[in-house]
Order: sequence, then C-alpha cells, then structure tokens
Amino acid sequence: MDELVIKKNKIKDFIDKLSKDYNIFAPVKVDNIYLFKKIKSFSEIDQDFVNSKIPPKNILFKQTETMFKFNMGVDAKVEPVTPGDQKNIIFGIRPCDAKSISILDNVFEDDYLDPYFINRRKNTIFIGLSCINPDINCFCTSMDASPASSEDVDILFTEIGDRYFIEIKTEKGKELIRKIKNLLQESTSSDKKKKKDIEKKSIDAITRNMNTRDISEKLEKIFDHNLWKNISKKCLGCGICTYLCPTCHCFDIQDETTLGNGARVRVWDTCMNPEYTIHASGHNPRPARMNRTRNRVYHKFNYFPKNYDVIACVGCGRCINDCPVNIDIINIIDQAREVK
Amino acid sequence: MVDQKKLRDEAKKIISRDDVKYVIGWEKGTYGFQMTPLFATSEDDIDRLVFNPLCIHNLAVFPMLEEKLPLQKGSFEENEKIGIILKGCDSRAIVQIIQEKGLEKEKLIIIGVPCRGIIDYKKINKRFPHQTKNAVVEEDDKNFIINTNGKTQKIPKDELIMDKCKTCEFPNPVIYDVLIGDEIKTSKKPDYKKITSLENKKLDEKWSYWESQFEKCIRCYACRNVCPLCYCKECMVDQLNPQWVRRSVNVSENTAWNIMRAFHLAGRCIDCGECERVCPVGIPLSDLNKKLEKDVMELFNYKAGTDVKEKPLLSMFKPDDAEDFII
Repeated sequence: MDELVIKKNKIKDFIDKLSKDYNIFAPVKVDNIYLFKKIKSFSEIDQDFVNSKIPPKNILFKQTETMFKFNMGVDAKVEPVTPGDQKNIIFGIRPCDAKSISILDNVFEDDYLDPYFINRRKNTIFIGLSCINPDINCFCTSMDASPASSEDVDILFTEIGDRYFIEIKTEKGKELIRKIKNLLQESTSSDKKKKKDIEKKSIDAITRNMNTRDISEKLEKIFDHNLWKNISKKCLGCGICTYLCPTCHCFDIQDETTLGNGARVRVWDTCMNPEYTIHASGHNPRPARMNRTRNRVYHKFNYFPKNYDVIACVGCGRCINDCPVNIDIINIIDQAREVK
Repeated sequence: MVDQKKLRDEAKKIISRDDVKYVIGWEKGTYGFQMTPLFATSEDDIDRLVFNPLCIHNLAVFPMLEEKLPLQKGSFEENEKIGIILKGCDSRAIVQIIQEKGLEKEKLIIIGVPCRGIIDYKKINKRFPHQTKNAVVEEDDKNFIINTNGKTQKIPKDELIMDKCKTCEFPNPVIYDVLIGDEIKTSKKPDYKKITSLENKKLDEKWSYWESQFEKCIRCYACRNVCPLCYCKECMVDQLNPQWVRRSVNVSENTAWNIMRAFHLAGRCIDCGECERVCPVGIPLSDLNKKLEKDVMELFNYKAGTDVKEKPLLSMFKPDDAEDFII
C-alpha cells in the first residue's frame, strides 16, 4: 500500500475527516499572498498556490514562542508553558520546504534538544504536494532535490489529471492512511508513469541553477575578498532574506514584563540586524553590513556544511523573489566561484 | 525616454573627478524585469548604467545607509562625494533630508532624470509570468515597449504603471546639478479618493481592516530600511531601555510599530512608495502615509521635500497654525 490514488472530488472528505483528530495547516490565500494557516474546512485551501510567502517552518519554529510566564514580588511564581501534544498535519508542504525541516533537525536536535521544535515535529505529519508549476527563481534541482521529491515527507501527493498519486514514505504516513483507506484506490502502473512524466516536466520548467560543487572549500579561501564589500553596498540590511528563508533558525530570548508579571519569549532574530551580534560592552564583531551579508552566505554554504555535511539552502528562491534590491544568492555564488 | 548616452556621459564626468567615490544608479538585474542599484566606481562600471521605466528603487536611501565605522589608528574620515541619479519623487527625499540637516548638499552630485512613470513589478510579473531571461523595456508617450525573448509588445502605460505615478505631481527632480533631457509638463494632482473612503469607514471596520493587515507583519523592518527618511541613528524599535515596542510579533506590537513609524514620517514622507513596494506580506503602508500627508496638507498647507530653503514642518511654528486638535 505504498502507492495509492485519490480522486480529486474525494479530497474534501479526506481533509474534513482528518480535521476531527488533527490541526490541519494548509496554504490559504490572504489578500495577495499565500500563507500556511490552520484551516477548519477544505474550502479554505487555495490549490493554485506556487509556494507560501512565509515558509511553513513557522509552524514548528514559531516566530514568537512563549517559554514561561512569571509574576514578580512577594508571591513570585513561574508558570511553565508546554508546547502541547496537539496532533498536526501540514498539508501541501512543498518538497523544498520539507527538506528544510530535515535540515533544521540538525540544529534543533543537536547537543541541546529543543523541546518546542522536537515536540511539534514528532506530532506533525507532513503531507507534501509536488510542484507542477515551479516559480521563476526556483532552483531545488541544484540542491540535490526535485520538485516532486518524497524524500522528506511522510506522504507525497502529486496531481495527475483528475486524481492525486499518493506515495507513502513512513510509518507515520501509513498509520494516517489506514484511517481514511476507504477514500483511496490502488494505483496502476499508468498512474506511476504519469507521476514520473509530471516530475520530469516540472524539472524541465526550472530555469535557474546554482553550481555548488566544492563551494564550501572555495568560500574558505575568499573570506577577506573585496567581493563581499561590493555585494553589500546595495544591501538595505532588512530581514526579508532571513525571515523568509526556510532554513534560517536564529532567535533572540527576552523577558517582556508589564507591572507585576511577564513572560520569557523566544522570537526570530536576523543576522542582518546589527543588534544581533552586539556585545554587552558595546563592541560589535560584525560592525558593517559587509560582515553581515557575508555571514548569511557563509552560514549556508560553509559553516553549515562543515558542521552538518549539508548546505543550508533548499533552492526555494524566496530570498531572491523578495529582496528589495535584487541581491541574488545564485549570482553571489556565481561571483564567488569566479574569484581567482 | 531619457537619453542613455547623455546620462552615461554625465556620470562618467562625475566619476572621473578625484573627490567622488562612486556614482549610484541602476543596472540590469539578475532575471526577468529586475533592475538593481549600481555603485559605479570607474568609467567601465558606468557602461552598465541605465535608466528605464523599470528603475523603481529610490536611491536616496543609500547615502543615508553609509556606515560610519570606528576609525582605525592612522586612518581618517573619508570626505568624498557621492554621485547619485534621482527621479522626481526620489529627489524630494533628498530635499527633505537636507532641510532636516541629515545630509549636506555638498556631499552629493545629483543627476536628475525626468520620469514619465515607473512600472509596477507586481503588474508586469503578472502579465509576463515566468520571465527568467532579462527583458528590455522602453517607452514612447503612451506605451511601454517590452521586449521579451526576442518578441516585442506595446502595452498602454496605464496598465502597468505604479499607482503612485498616476497621480504624480513631481515628474521632474526638484533638486539637481545636471538634468538629463527636458522637463516634463504635468497637470496631475494628488488623489485622496482611497484615503477618503478609508476615513469614512466606521471605527470598528477601520480597526478590523488594519488589524488584518498588521497581523501579517513579520517585523523584517524592510519598510524602515528602504525608507530614505528613516535614518535615525538608533530606531525606537531597536531600543531596549526603555523598550518602546516589544520583540514579540503579534497584532498589538505590530500595530504599535507600524503606527509609530507612520507618525514619525508625518510631514516628512514624500510618497515614493518604497515601503509598500518592499513589504513582503503586502501591507498597504502608503495608505497610512498618505492619510498623514492629507492631514498635514489640510492642517498646515504643507508639502514635504519641495524646497531646500523651507524648514521641516515639525520644527517651525506659525501663529495661525491649526491647534484645535490640542486637548
């Protein structure tokens, strides 16, 4: 039962049935952008989406996480906030974003086990949706992946005409499928061929590509090159590239209080922000935008590969699509390769 | 259309001066319709310089983003000038900054370019989806002439132009050292129809509208960083002691941030629309700014960034100033 099909007109029942036991997060159109939101019924899902503006990492690694609450004074008390055991389904996650979650596992399940991320990850089933219409700056194929890869999801859906081809990859996936078995049918070899054809068409539709061969070693040698200064001249220093990145995972921790009580919160932070590295003494080891722009590139293409043996970029193209001044990570890597 | 050769010749003259460190203009971007800011340090770099209806970025932000790092022993503060190319709207930002003494005019050599309206990236990308190869865009009086993958199309300007350009009063730079080409005559007037309709909504409608907008904010501060007039050494949102706005990202704090920023731009915003353009989640920030622009006009008959000799609105006082809003 590793490969099945579901008719498109059955998807509504599929979602509605599962929504009784699970929180379902799916792509929803909000004004002119797509976001992963908790949905109550199938009709909220917008299937025309190419990808969400904000990656679904924010379901596991929330932008604002309350760690505990407290009150002060004579009756000072700390009230823990637990991540909760609610079961989630992320429906429609793209293969690139699913890969980013596997990349984030390296960080959140390293020496320190992050209870928030790990707990939510454990309780979440990832139902991927193959891309049939990749975006202009997609380059997942350059990052050892495919727009129809089932590598990092529990279940992968691929649209083939009037039905979805379903690949079940994990035990978690199998268990879920058992619950809704009556909605599904066995797949035929022609369905499988259709999926292959669609995957090929989709791969061919990706026009941009990044050559990452030996990039970590190359970067090792050009840390002090003028290139970084030149690239950073037009950088505005905003947080778009990092906040929209599915693999960026830095955060800041602060106590936010009102008169008698408060909470310790963990919020996304960005290495583009000068405050990110400033020391209590006032010294800032990354004083200029050049240091910060360079750090983003090095973290993804040098430090991360050195630490975890994988490039921290999945080729989703979000940082390219939304950079206000067209700083283009593919172009940066091309330029870095050309440095003698 | 601005004469590209003349533009490059002027830029070359400027970059060949000993007291100029770079000329800021635009060059072809990395894909599709993208243009990107160019920092030209040599005459060779100037060969990449272009001005066309895709040059949307307000370059006035870059002199304000220059970093003054602590000087190392034996080094001196550089005192070189910056050459910069400005459209009408962009030039008003520079005028406003000069009025506020945020920048000295002597620091800049300004090439002014008359502008007949800039293309909205969102509109053109919708029209030509999946345009990866660089496209070439030119214009005549009424149309944009768009060349994609060897095919040429004429599209009426009204269909692609930025909304702000439809009501632009300042097609010509209000400050410049050299102007490329002739000034453009216009009879366009600012239009506050959208603002009036927002004003006329009921309080709870307004609240729920803006709540749904601010809810989307991810506090990337691109609106602030792209704004030439957001040049405070330390932004109030970064301050920790006291902390005016919390780091938590929620409707309440996001509202505080966006409203505070809008108020800090009252009588200063020159409506280049960059904040709204760069906002990744599509918050209609120009509406906030335009509301304040309208109020400032009605209360004080004042328009920001039009005359270097004028004083900034909030640092002057006239005996007959409106004061009925003071409690």
